[in-house]
Amino acid sequence: MDDSRVLYKTWSICPVCMKRISAERVQKDNKVFLQKTCKDHGAFESIIWRGFSDINEWVNGADKLAADDTKCPDGCGLCADHLQKTCCTLLNITSRCNLDCRFCFADQGCNTDEPTLDEIKKSIFKLIEKDKTLLQLSGGEPTLREDLPEIIKTAKDAGAKYVQLNTNGIRLSEDMQYVKKLADAGLSFVFMQFDGTDDSIYESLRGKPLLKIKQKAIDNCGENNIGVTLAPTLVRDVNIHNIGKILHFAIDQAPKVRGVHFQPVTFIGRAPEIPNDRDRITLDELVFEICRQTNGIIKAEDLLPSACDHPLCGFHGDFIVDQNKLIPLLKRGETEKKCCCDSSAAEKNREFVAKRWLRPTTNEASKDSCCGDIHDMDFFLKKVKTHGFTITAMAFQDAGNIDFSRLRNCSFHVYDKEKFIPFCSYYLSGWKQ
Amino acid sequence: MPENKKLICYKCQKELELIKTDFTYLGHSFYTEVPKCPECGLVFISEELVKGRISDVEMQLEDK
Repeated sequence: MDDSRVLYKTWSICPVCMKRISAERVQKDNKVFLQKTCKDHGAFESIIWRGFSDINEWVNGADKLAADDTKCPDGCGLCADHLQKTCCTLLNITSRCNLDCRFCFADQGCNTDEPTLDEIKKSIFKLIEKDKTLLQLSGGEPTLREDLPEIIKTAKDAGAKYVQLNTNGIRLSEDMQYVKKLADAGLSFVFMQFDGTDDSIYESLRGKPLLKIKQKAIDNCGENNIGVTLAPTLVRDVNIHNIGKILHFAIDQAPKVRGVHFQPVTFIGRAPEIPNDRDRITLDELVFEICRQTNGIIKAEDLLPSACDHPLCGFHGDFIVDQNKLIPLLKRGETEKKCCCDSSAAEKNREFVAKRWLRPTTNEASKDSCCGDIHDMDFFLKKVKTHGFTITAMAFQDAGNIDFSRLRNCSFHVYDKEKFIPFCSYYLSGWKQ
Repeated sequence: MPENKKLICYKCQKELELIKTDFTYLGHSFYTEVPKCPECGLVFISEELVKGRISDVEMQLEDK
C-alpha cells in the first residue's frame, strides 16, 4: 500500500527540457521528496528532507505560491510576482580562476572573459542603493583582478553599505600588500571557500592541498581587521564527517573568523554527474550532523529556519565566542520571528549578517573584551561586537529540486544586464540524459 | 544618574543608591548598576539607559 502523502503542490522544471511543470512535495515515511513528471521526459524525484526533524514545523506555513500562479523562471529579473526584495547582490567581475574545482556553480576557470573596469563601474552605479546595498564581488576568482581595490572603492564611494569578497583565499595568503589595499579601499568582509581541516578534502574537491593557504589568508585578513566567514561546500563521502572539526577550527580562530556558512553541494554549473538521492545533503541532515559532531555544544534549537528566504533555503544561528565557547543568542520557538514577510525583511536580514561578519574598527575593538562576565551588560555589549559568530547555511537549488515557492522568496540576487536575478534561477542548468 | 544630582524615592524619601540590578530579555539575563531605593527597591531607569545600552542589548538579541 502506498502510504505517501502530498504536503504541498508547487511548480518546478523538467531537468531535461527545462520546461515549467507542476510538482509536489511528497512525504514517504519520514522522508520528503520533490516529485514531478514531464510528458516528454518522464518522472523525476529528488529528496528534500530526510526526517531528522519535522518538515512541517520547519516550514511553518511559509509557502505563498498559488498553484497556477507563476511565471518562474522565465520572468526572472525580477517580476512583479517576486515576493522578496534584494538582501545581497552578487556581481561577477571575472570568469578567470586559479583553481579547477570538481564542483563549481559558475563552471568557470577555462574562460578568460571579464568585464572592463568601466563596465563594472557602470554596473555598480546602477545597482547600488545608497547606504543599503550589500555587494558581493564574485567570479571566477575576483582576486585575479589587479583593479579589485579600485572596484571596492568605487562601490563604497557610490554608497554600498557593505562590500563582500567571495574568494578561495589563495591571493590573500600570498600577497599581504594586496590584502592591505583591499582593506584600505573599504572591503567589509571576506567569504572564503573553506571545505575542511584536512588536506585530503581539498585534494578531492579543489585538486590540491590548500589548508596552510587558508590559514595564512585568515591571518592576513586578521592583520588588516577584515572579518572572514568560512564557506564549506559539503559533499557526501568527502567532508560531511568534518563538519564538527570545521566548526571547532572556526571558533578557535575567532574573532578573525566570524562564522561558518555551510553550502550543501548543488548540482549546477560544473558538477560531475546527475545526482542520486544519496548525493544530496538536506538541511535537516546538516542540522543533525552539526549537533552530533559538536557533541551537543550546538543544539538544534540554536539554529533557526530562514525567515527572509524560504525556510527550505537555509538556517541561521547567532552566537558569541567567549573563551573558546559558544554562547547561543537565539532559540527556536522563543526568539524567532514567525514571519519575516514585510517589506523590510531583506534589509533586516542584511543587517543581521553584516553586524556579525563586520569586525569593529580597531579603536572600538581595543576596548577590552577579553575577560569578564558575559552577564555584565557592558561586557556583553563589547563582546557581542568583537566576538559575534554565526552558523548559517544556504541550500541552493538545481534542476532536480528547484521549487518555485522557494525561488519566489529568494533575496539573494545576481546582477547582470541591468537585472536582479534570483541566484538559483540565474545559474539553473539542465541535465543531459 | 546625572552627576551631582541626588535622586530621592518619592515613597520612602530615601536617596537612591547605585545597585547592581538584573534585567531579563528573551531568556538572557544581564546586570548593570542603576539607582535603586535601599528601602523599597524601586529603580530609576533613565531615558539615556533605555535608548542607549538597553536598546542596544535588545537589538543584539532579537532575531532578524
